[in-house]
Amino acid sequence: MFALQALDLTVTARINGAVVPAIRGLSFELPPGKILGLVGESGAGKSMVGRAIAQLLPTGFAITAGSLLFEGEDLMEMPPPRRRALLGRAIGFIPQQPMTALNPVMTVGAQFDEHLARLGEGDYVERRKRAIAALAAAHLRDAGGLLGRYPHQLSGGMLQRVLIALAFSSNPRLVIADEPTTALDVTIHPQILRLIAEMQREHTTAIIFITHDLRLAAQLCDQVVVMYAGRAIESGPARSILSRPAHPYTRCLQLANPTMHNERRALYVIPDQMPSLRQLQKMPGCHFAPRCPLVVENCRRMDPPEVWIGADHRVACLRAADVAAIATIDEATAPPEISARIVLQVEKLQKRYRIGDKLFGGTRLVEAVKGVSFNIAENEFVALVGESGSGKSTIAKLLVGLEQPSGGRILLNGDDLTDPSLRSLVRRAASLQMVFQDPQSALNPRRRIGRIITQAMEAGSRHSTWQERLTRTKELLAEVGLSEDFATRLPGQLSGGQRQRVNIARALCNIPKVLVADEIVSGLDVSIQAQLLNLLARLRSELGFGMLFISHDLSVVRHLCSRVLVMYRGEIVEQGPIEAVFSDPQHPHTRALVSSVPPDDPRAGWPALKVALAEY
Amino acid sequence: MAALARSLRSPRVLIALVMILCILCCAIFAGLIAPNDPGDQNLLSILVPPTWSPGGDPAFPLGTDSLGRDVLSRLIYGARTAMLVAFFASLGAMIIGTVLAHISGYFGGTVDWIIGRLVDVWMSFPPVILSLILMVGLGVGLDRVILAIILVDWTRFCRVLRSEVLIVTRHDYVAAARLLGFTHWQAIVREVLPATLPLLITLMSLEMAIAVIVEAILSFVGLGVGANQPAWGQMIADARQYVYQSPWNLLLPALAIFFTVTAFNLLGDGLRRTLDVRLSESGR
Repeated sequence: MFALQALDLTVTARINGAVVPAIRGLSFELPPGKILGLVGESGAGKSMVGRAIAQLLPTGFAITAGSLLFEGEDLMEMPPPRRRALLGRAIGFIPQQPMTALNPVMTVGAQFDEHLARLGEGDYVERRKRAIAALAAAHLRDAGGLLGRYPHQLSGGMLQRVLIALAFSSNPRLVIADEPTTALDVTIHPQILRLIAEMQREHTTAIIFITHDLRLAAQLCDQVVVMYAGRAIESGPARSILSRPAHPYTRCLQLANPTMHNERRALYVIPDQMPSLRQLQKMPGCHFAPRCPLVVENCRRMDPPEVWIGADHRVACLRAADVAAIATIDEATAPPEISARIVLQVEKLQKRYRIGDKLFGGTRLVEAVKGVSFNIAENEFVALVGESGSGKSTIAKLLVGLEQPSGGRILLNGDDLTDPSLRSLVRRAASLQMVFQDPQSALNPRRRIGRIITQAMEAGSRHSTWQERLTRTKELLAEVGLSEDFATRLPGQLSGGQRQRVNIARALCNIPKVLVADEIVSGLDVSIQAQLLNLLARLRSELGFGMLFISHDLSVVRHLCSRVLVMYRGEIVEQGPIEAVFSDPQHPHTRALVSSVPPDDPRAGWPALKVALAEY
Repeated sequence: MAALARSLRSPRVLIALVMILCILCCAIFAGLIAPNDPGDQNLLSILVPPTWSPGGDPAFPLGTDSLGRDVLSRLIYGARTAMLVAFFASLGAMIIGTVLAHISGYFGGTVDWIIGRLVDVWMSFPPVILSLILMVGLGVGLDRVILAIILVDWTRFCRVLRSEVLIVTRHDYVAAARLLGFTHWQAIVREVLPATLPLLITLMSLEMAIAVIVEAILSFVGLGVGANQPAWGQMIADARQYVYQSPWNLLLPALAIFFTVTAFNLLGDGLRRTLDVRLSESGR
């Protein structure tokens, strides 16, 4: 018997009266004590599976066909009291956002106790003992003290450990983990994954592991199902899927992901984006056909049948035999020769914040940036990496002038920007620009795209004619790879990747010397990320600007930049050429960062998963 | 402004606009519509009931008051007073409140603190008492009424709009505008104000209803627009003594106030429902 079995599961959504399948004919088997990875980009429908099990489908969504069998029992058919009895007991959940998963006004202990009481666990003393044992098993130090604390007093990593302990406390037979590491710092990822794997082994639990990261799934899971636009397109043993992908989408995704070890190549660009639910409505045939490099006429006409290409490796593609032919253009993307001309010099930059109430109660100083120095040359891309709270974004704000430094100097082409007479942003605007992290917030929803990207031309006392702006709009749209008709659209009508292109175009309007980019690809899917990374590389060779590229993703950084600065608690603890720093990291924090990236080769072990879990 | 066009399709807004248009017509064309001069005293025919009741006089469709003045004409001219006060008082309060709210929310820090405390102190006075005190100091007259309402009610705009400005200012696109070389003034006018405009319009229509009520209260206690100008509050005050002989004299101006205030409130509510991004998003 399987721990969980999906048989032809179909979830439909009601959009403006029309019924659209959000998941179509999904089938998989999860044997007891195994880990099944559901992998896909956002919108693939992978989270919908977890929600269907928990009976938490969004309004308008419903399971219309097929069945979900938990140990042979259909979860949809069983009476609600029976299902409620299973959820939280035999079926556990690990959420994506540990920070919001616990009730903020109740102590961890009270919530643990509530859960154990619901499981029918003895008296209070007994339950407290169980809770302490569960927290200790999750390698949390001082479990007794932890029970008296409130969720906001714990870090994200600790909260996720608490939630994992909570999920496994009922000795479940199935646990659904929906992107359990996405909201956490990269350095914590291996620990959380290792803890999940350890708990899984101890309790011989079956796990559905939902993730967008194919490499990560290959390390952790036994079986993987790759989903695209509501369909399972390929499924099989995790390692064989990554080493011998049989669906063009899996193959493209792999080529679109920058690597940590291989030679740097141009990333494979899957054109366009995943079809939305609305577009799926009138799309016969294979959902990947419009973006597929191997598409043939038949793909658009018929649903590709599932074919077996290995012992338990299935793929739904007509051209599975030719997938190995997909390759990136053999184009070296070694960073261009860096000119010796330094454009941006940062010397002993400091920022202190005073926090607290000035009038009532005391204040204290927080040092966000402690004497940081670095240079950026013309057409040089410098990466700034570090965990959240290390001061990366503060440096970005100091550079562009949204915050004033408490000490140190910023020299742009030799002019000291911290000099009061030069502080004005208007002076800076022409040569130093910023690309913001969240394109949703960075684009005024009321301005049309054309007016956004040429916004610099209406700044200050500049008066540009309509004709001038129109010309510049066309040039900029072409530069970032958007067609001219985007000029009249509003940001709300664009996808995330398109918005980020607009965001970049706006920063380029004045042809800046230096760009500051704060996590500009972190919210995007791999295929969209590849498009943007290639765009940035092309723009560098065309326009020759330097860039400070802030990111937490080391493989992205390695792909794009030539030098890296590692920040830790407001200081640069290590810097140097990317290859040197990543292959031989010196500082413990750099080592933690480097080891938190899952290896490209699925057969290679991931040392970070093997290291004994540290007490927390 | 697509949102404004959309709001015109809301039945609430449409009904409210028709009602307001009626009152506005009365106010503008008072001289043409009114059958009699509102100030003409007919001491021979005082407290004449409306035409449909026994003893009514067709010359005075809604009867006369205790000084023999035509009630209908006074109601129509009263609409003029009410509309003038509603429009200019809420406009004035809106301008002061909006300017301070944007300065306060955009710049934050000390400026925000000072404006915030000023609003706190201002709002700790009961609004009607404050306006009565102001009227005593300023003296009666239409312009004084308007001034008093502005001075009392700007805080309402300031308080509500400031939090909206605060939210909008936190968006990266405002910072981006500054980085592109926008001056603070440009950033406020071109990036922040368009986002707060829907709330501002909604608040203004609600403020008009409040202004009508305050004007009626002030006129009722005799500290309003002055004796020579017809006002609804004044008519109620006059009719109070003769309420048993001719209840119509009291009911009719009260109804006029009710009608006007309902129209503005309905408009405000309709605009809020169609213009407020948060409401329309969650409703979908």
